[in-house]
Amino acid sequence: MGVIRYLRDIWRGAVSLARGMRRTLYYFLRPKEIITQQYPDNRLTLNLPERFKGEVVMPHNENNEHRCTGCQACELACPNGSLKVIYKYEITAEGKKKKAIDKLVYHLELCTMCNLCIEACPSDAIKMAQTFEHSVFDRSQLIKILNKPGSKIMEGVE
Amino acid sequence: MWSFQQAAQQIHEWLSERMSAGWALALEMVLAGLMAIGLFAMLGLILVLMERKVSARMQVRLGPNRVGPKGMLQTAADTLKLLLKEGLTPDGADKWLFHAAPIMAIVVSMLLLAPIAFAMDFQLWDVNIGVLYVSAMSSLMVISILMAGWASNSKYSLLGAMRSGAQIVSYELSAGLSVLTVVTLTGSLQISEIIRSQADGWWIFKGHVPVWIAFVIFIIAITAETNRAPFDLAEAESELTAGFHTEYSGIKFALFFLAEYINVFVLCGIGATLFLGGPMPFHIGSWEGLNRIMDWIPSSVWFFGKTFLLIFVIMWFRWTFPRLRIDQLLNLEWKYLLPLGMVNVLLAALIAIKGWHF
Amino acid sequence: MSGSDLVFYILALMTLCFGVLTVTSRQIFRAAVYLLFCLLGVAGIYFWLNYQFLAAVQIVVYAGGIVVLILFSIFLTQQSGEKLPVPAVSRKFFSALAAFCALALVLVSVFRFSFAESGKRSALVSMSQIGEKMLSPGEGGYALPFEVISVLLLAALIGCIVIAIKTKPDAR
Ligand code: SF4
Ligand code: SF4
Repeated sequence: MGVIRYLRDIWRGAVSLARGMRRTLYYFLRPKEIITQQYPDNRLTLNLPERFKGEVVMPHNENNEHRCTGCQACELACPNGSLKVIYKYEITAEGKKKKAIDKLVYHLELCTMCNLCIEACPSDAIKMAQTFEHSVFDRSQLIKILNKPGSKIMEGVE
Repeated sequence: MWSFQQAAQQIHEWLSERMSAGWALALEMVLAGLMAIGLFAMLGLILVLMERKVSARMQVRLGPNRVGPKGMLQTAADTLKLLLKEGLTPDGADKWLFHAAPIMAIVVSMLLLAPIAFAMDFQLWDVNIGVLYVSAMSSLMVISILMAGWASNSKYSLLGAMRSGAQIVSYELSAGLSVLTVVTLTGSLQISEIIRSQADGWWIFKGHVPVWIAFVIFIIAITAETNRAPFDLAEAESELTAGFHTEYSGIKFALFFLAEYINVFVLCGIGATLFLGGPMPFHIGSWEGLNRIMDWIPSSVWFFGKTFLLIFVIMWFRWTFPRLRIDQLLNLEWKYLLPLGMVNVLLAALIAIKGWHF
Repeated sequence: MSGSDLVFYILALMTLCFGVLTVTSRQIFRAAVYLLFCLLGVAGIYFWLNYQFLAAVQIVVYAGGIVVLILFSIFLTQQSGEKLPVPAVSRKFFSALAAFCALALVLVSVFRFSFAESGKRSALVSMSQIGEKMLSPGEGGYALPFEVISVLLLAALIGCIVIAIKTKPDAR
């Protein structure tokens, strides 16, 4: 029946609108849900969400060792060429030649924080840090070397 | 107890003692005009701040919170900035119409204010066709938009004005029909008469089904008539930059902005008067005790409370619903609201004749 | 001259000035806006006469309805910022003649009628009186004209639908 369908359409429309309005009213009545961070007022107590990404870093342990093998997977994965692996060959104890990184150059000014390099890395050598106050006066300062000077690869990481 | 009506009476007596009737009237007019302008400024500041706060809360944000305590002076600062800005007139604009359009908008909003009862027996002009007067004046709102759209000599403005023309002309019908429902039940167009008819309960309770339907249609129609989201096609930011007021800046833009908020206030005030009793306190039939307690709250508080409640509902719409397309907008009016409104008026007439309302 | 008279003269002057501007303006959109102000002036005179219902109807129908329609058709058909061509002398002459004839007709009928002073101020006509007269079939009632006009409007409405209706390509 045309009339019944017409009225049912109206009813359904009203119900779906009411559902939307209930959601906004829910947030309106609960100021605790507000997620705005009043930076820089709360710089010390800043509460960043878990998935917030600030920059790519390479963690080192206390012996100044990292997990990077120099495999270049991150360089290939990066869509905008923000990572550059400069590698060298080291002679292992058995006298074999082995690829290792000399420098992992990271262009913060190009990076879009897309997380692709982290996912590509086979040995979990890099991760995303939550630092975000990156402003500097000279953009050459944004080009960073991720491995610390004098660092070497951790034992047992292939 | 102090009331607006007594204050007005006292001023009138004080003036009549000191000068002739004609001068007293002239002076009272000037006073009323100044009060209207003061009310405009206040409303502009409060409503814009309210909108920003409400929208912020609904979108899980904080909203303005820097200027003054809790950001209360933000809109005042914005207004000051707007007043100091340069007013540009685009090349090739029709200068005369370009300057006249915002003035027209604000004058129409001012005229709309005349029959509103802000408190019991406190009206500028209790014209005997009150409700019809309001519909007549609000039908003029579209003209300033059309003028602005044409005079700016810009595509965006022209498109915005065309859309709003089609929109306002069609939604006026629904607003009129829903107003008619209450008028049928009351038997009068006079605002004071309509308020008095609700002394034993507001129409939304007394008139049951037809008044409920009329109320919903009215709220939708005034949202559309004041060009607010989800019906803000006339100034859709994402499609037309700002629609009809794209080319306006400085004080002329401020006037358009103010007129929009005043119209929202006035139409919500009319809605509150028709359906929620306006300045009439909450009464239930013959429960003397309750009625006495409710009378204790001043009528102006009732009026502003109800009006701001309706304004909140309209803001709630704006920050919940996405914008409609023009064909959906016209479909909603001509295929749903208008037929429903017509059937509803018949229903209301039946109920009024049979006396089925309370 | 009392304040009331002053208001009347202001309204009358406004109506006349905007009426003249309407026909002399060469920008069509401006002409329509002048027409709007002219009609509003007439509505103001109705308000001044305390005949509020007619005033409101004047605003709803003419200012809010007809003028908006005119503005709308200008939107759809004209270019912004263009001036209309100056009309030919003969056209000016004939339109002036037509206007003059109409004015003469009105003036003759006004002067022929002797307005007897009734002595009482114009009473406020209440809405219910207007409504009852409008629908009463008896003496002085307007039921028949009301119905005739409604049939006319219905015909116009159907005409619009017929013009606007989409014909399917295979219908021919
Ligand atoms: S986060 Fe994305 S853009 Fe940045 S370095 Fe990694 S892959 Fe490149
Ligand atoms: S960071 Fe990971 S992916 Fe990049 S070179 Fe080192 S081990 Fe390979």
